[in-house]
Amino acid sequence: MTHRDDVRDRLQTVFRETFDDDSIELADEMTAEDLDDWDSVSHISLVLAVEREFGVTLNAAEIGSLENVGAMIAMLRAKK
Amino acid sequence: MTDWGGIKARAAAGDAKGAFAGLAALARHEDDFVTQRKYARLLDKLPKDGLELRPLKLALLASSTTDHFAEILRLWLALEGFDADIFQPSFGQTAQSVLDPASDLYAFAPDMVWFFGNWRDVRIEVAPGAGRAEVDAAIEAAVAEAAGLWHALQRHAPALIVHNNADIPAMDVFGHLEANVPWSRRSLLRRYNLALADALPPGVSLFDLEHVSSCWGKDRWTDSRYWYHSKHAFAFDAAGTLAFQFARLAGAAKGLAKKCLVLDLDNTLWGGVIGDDGMDGIKLGNGAAGEAFADFQDYARELKERGVILAVCSKNEDANAREPFEHHPAMRLRLDDIAVFRANWNNKADNIREIAETLNIGLDSVVFVDDNPAERSLVRDFLPMVTVPELPEDPALYAAALHRERLFETLSFSSEDRVRNDYYRANASRSELRHAYADLGEFQRSLTMVAAVGAIDSFHLPRAAQLINKSNQFHLTTTRYGDAAIKAMLEDPAWQGRHFSLKDRFGDNGLIAVVLLHRQGGDALVDTWVMSCRVLGRGMEEFIANDLVQTARAMGCRHLIGRYIPSKKNKLVAGLYPRLGFTLVEDRDGETVWRLDLDDAPPLTTFIARG
Repeated sequence: MTHRDDVRDRLQTVFRETFDDDSIELADEMTAEDLDDWDSVSHISLVLAVEREFGVTLNAAEIGSLENVGAMIAMLRAKK
Repeated sequence: MTDWGGIKARAAAGDAKGAFAGLAALARHEDDFVTQRKYARLLDKLPKDGLELRPLKLALLASSTTDHFAEILRLWLALEGFDADIFQPSFGQTAQSVLDPASDLYAFAPDMVWFFGNWRDVRIEVAPGAGRAEVDAAIEAAVAEAAGLWHALQRHAPALIVHNNADIPAMDVFGHLEANVPWSRRSLLRRYNLALADALPPGVSLFDLEHVSSCWGKDRWTDSRYWYHSKHAFAFDAAGTLAFQFARLAGAAKGLAKKCLVLDLDNTLWGGVIGDDGMDGIKLGNGAAGEAFADFQDYARELKERGVILAVCSKNEDANAREPFEHHPAMRLRLDDIAVFRANWNNKADNIREIAETLNIGLDSVVFVDDNPAERSLVRDFLPMVTVPELPEDPALYAAALHRERLFETLSFSSEDRVRNDYYRANASRSELRHAYADLGEFQRSLTMVAAVGAIDSFHLPRAAQLINKSNQFHLTTTRYGDAAIKAMLEDPAWQGRHFSLKDRFGDNGLIAVVLLHRQGGDALVDTWVMSCRVLGRGMEEFIANDLVQTARAMGCRHLIGRYIPSKKNKLVAGLYPRLGFTLVEDRDGETVWRLDLDDAPPLTTFIARG
């Protein structure tokens, strides 16, 4: 549980920095629909920030498939 | 304080200037993409009014995705002094937008157009083993494709064009053999890059993407994941370097490149302290450190030979400081190479200010190199407009540290550049002579000056354009035109371009002034008048005015109309037109318009003969 929350906290920081919005609270079901600034361009900036923060490298298919926060957290846990 | 938290705090408190200065100190072009983006977004939110940035309209025409890069590019253009408005056509619309005169591209009216291609855009394939004729034809066709875009663009917009050459990929199928044969992809692209350079018309410059990618490292230059996912043609982390280098090139195109390198002596040009260690004791030429110092001197000398002015600023007795230049066998720099030599015990900020005054150049075109961090910090504090690169402790790394800043970009090289240092040295002698004469007229007569004048032709065009784009102080209307724009104007009979050179008994000053006249009814409007400040106080302004009167009469005009558009740097010429006998017709917030009646314009007195 603690492990998952640690990932969630760090991911939340990444979201806040990427979208420049300190009020963002992550929820598993959150998708690009829920954040105005989350478009295909900022999605790539988000993935790059995630890669840097967690020291992981996503493959080309994974980059596009992270459509919601829950999927991102699951993927990051699997990569660790 | 230049940590990120402090910068954010300043931005939040409404201190845009402070936040911007902090970003300038903190941002490094090597920083990774996520960091660069953070800086860029902060900059985007700052109000730009107080930052003294000049507007730049840039069209970024790419075959790959450049949305992320454009953000970073705006950051580095701002740090170079531009408030950039970047236009990107819809994906894949480059050729259409260039070829269609009614496209959004032309409605945008760019100052600069960057054809941001990559190697995949160069359609140049031949079968393995193909013969020379087939290879040549393939290269010629690929170059013609690029040239077609330039010509189409130049027909519809007077913008400066920057074009990427090919970033030759690391991958190959024949290994080292690719370098041995003309038909391999690597050889084809190498030849293409050379042929592209050969085909450049005036007004088009190459951006050496091949060089940038090599310096960055070919193996990490592309991140194929992001090519397949979203057509990003280079690694995100290279964005800063790429944007920084383009910004320097854009700066050079708009007159922001540096002009003068001011060098410290002890432990900068040689190891040790000349006043203490003496000629035999300083490290120069021999030994690891001695060789490194000699090489750094060579680098400075090469910069001088391409047009950078060299000056010395050192805490030393003057005679001690000069001795190595005169007698040390391993010195690569000689006194002849130094336009202004200041060795004394005054503070360096004062000395640098005096050097700039003597050379008649702005402090913001000065670069100061000193091994001593305390001196660097003093100069940064007192003269924030002077560029002071950080220098590592090891002299072996000095040249690389200076080169890293890319301070001396230029879009052209003329024979004037090669001898610029001599002009400035001769000027120092002239200014000493001036002290010996009580009367300015007597001084001017003693110079035995001869000026050459003519219409700007294709031979004089590059230097004329260079002068227009580099001049800040003696520039009445602050216009900037590229080669192509000037060429287009001069093809129109309503325009006349004049160039002026000046010789005197100390030497040839070269082409030192350019004027563009535009006939509008019975008026000849001085659209542009620039002059090199090194010939100030010689009566050249009066000489030029006399020529303009004649030229305007020959154009069939009755009035000569001068305009003064104030900028941060051209106060020098605010009073030029009244001094030349023009009368004020309009004053709008300091922007003034002046008229001279050509029926009543007696020639002004000068001591310059027409040669």
